[in-house]
Amino acid sequence: MGLYKSLRNVLPTEFIEPNWRFYSFLFLIAFTIVMMLEFPVKPYHGLIDPFYSPTILVLPFVGLFRLTCYAYRKDYHRHVFKHPVSCALDLRGDSSTRDYSGETKFFRVENLHRYFMYFGVAILPFFFYDFYISITFGGGLIIRLASLILLANAIMVTIWVFSCHAVRHLTGGRMDCYGCRFAGKQKNSFFNIQSKFNEHHEALAWSSLILFVFVDLYIRALSAGIPLDVTLLHIAHI
Amino acid sequence: MKDKVKISIFRKDPATGEEGHFVDYEVPVKEGMVVLDAVTYISENVDTTLAVRWNCKAARCGSCAAEINNRPALMCKTRIDLLGDNIKVAPMAAFPLVKDLVTDVSENFEIDRKIPAFAPKEGLESPWIIQQMDVERTKEFRTCIECFLCMDVCHVVREHKKDYVGPRHVIKAASLDMHPMDTLDRSKYLNKEGGLGFCNITKCCQEVCPEHIRITDNAIIQEKERAVDNYYDPIAMLLKKLSKKSE
Repeated sequence: MGLYKSLRNVLPTEFIEPNWRFYSFLFLIAFTIVMMLEFPVKPYHGLIDPFYSPTILVLPFVGLFRLTCYAYRKDYHRHVFKHPVSCALDLRGDSSTRDYSGETKFFRVENLHRYFMYFGVAILPFFFYDFYISITFGGGLIIRLASLILLANAIMVTIWVFSCHAVRHLTGGRMDCYGCRFAGKQKNSFFNIQSKFNEHHEALAWSSLILFVFVDLYIRALSAGIPLDVTLLHIAHI
Repeated sequence: MKDKVKISIFRKDPATGEEGHFVDYEVPVKEGMVVLDAVTYISENVDTTLAVRWNCKAARCGSCAAEINNRPALMCKTRIDLLGDNIKVAPMAAFPLVKDLVTDVSENFEIDRKIPAFAPKEGLESPWIIQQMDVERTKEFRTCIECFLCMDVCHVVREHKKDYVGPRHVIKAASLDMHPMDTLDRSKYLNKEGGLGFCNITKCCQEVCPEHIRITDNAIIQEKERAVDNYYDPIAMLLKKLSKKSE
């Protein structure tokens, strides 16, 4: 904590206050459009690129789910609209002289976050199905490094979606009386566990995004013939 | 460790009509010294006209809130040795200045009065039995010491002067809303009159809170989601209507 405070006094705020999550999201949008249109990748030995899974059908809604996510809202309100660019009072620039409407007017659309979340939840099984396809490819059971990476991606996206503030509201936040609902079992309730993950929602939002791109690049590399995969277990007939 | 530290303090007396300015002082440094020690040293030994408000020096009363090196913080909780050589102390700019480092935060008590008061269910038998988990949920909000640093750092309150009640008062509303014996839903008040839509979740309030209350995550977002139930989510609105009819 001491080191962090000392760093805050020395380094420019942009180095300390992370805007990389939003910029990486913008990068991902551009990257996805270019790669999907210009460099399509077919399933490679049972490995389906996450962008070519059935998720593609609802990708715009998933994009809106990210855009209306509370973690990303913070990022673009700070680093695109610069309201305010920093919590530090001397670095706010012209924030006070520019008009500000916050999450009113057009940005009321952010209140539909929970509807986009439903799309996010709906596509989660497909990620696990892609993992299933990857381990049953060829009729037997084959566990490869690539399959484990697909599984890690599926788990990470799932954790991020379920750590969402809208999910937290639905699972318990909306209630006024926990005692009435959980009757002494709150400690191990889904709501309590979800709340723990919710504390790290911003970090999970970014990690799941980066892993998504990594999986895409990894499968592209395999399709291009770069031998990055390792077979860990192979049973030809079950 | 250095023997002395330079500290610049904002001086202004609105009664004289003079412009405010920073005055430099040199203060002898002691082990574990905090900014409040330096400021009180100046007011007692160097310039007794310096106005500063403080009380407990234990981060309990919230009186010594100020802007230290352009970051809202409690003077009694900010160590000198973590600030470097140039220490700048200014009053909270979100509130009217009384003198030097003292501001008038009374507008907060006016806002507080507007928030719908606790309204318990009728006919409850005494004593009220409340589960521990419900006590703990709102206990976080009740640790607020009303230092108003969150209000000072909030750009909506400080720079845009919109009709937003501010983070401190959303906490107050949330602590009442989440009380199991309460009957009101204050997200309606917050959304319509309280300007909750002006908060854009930039979490500065949560960052400066000396009590480490998760203001945005546990109060503001929760109230925003309740407002969505009431005004933006047609399914939730329908379900609420149906459940009211069935009662």
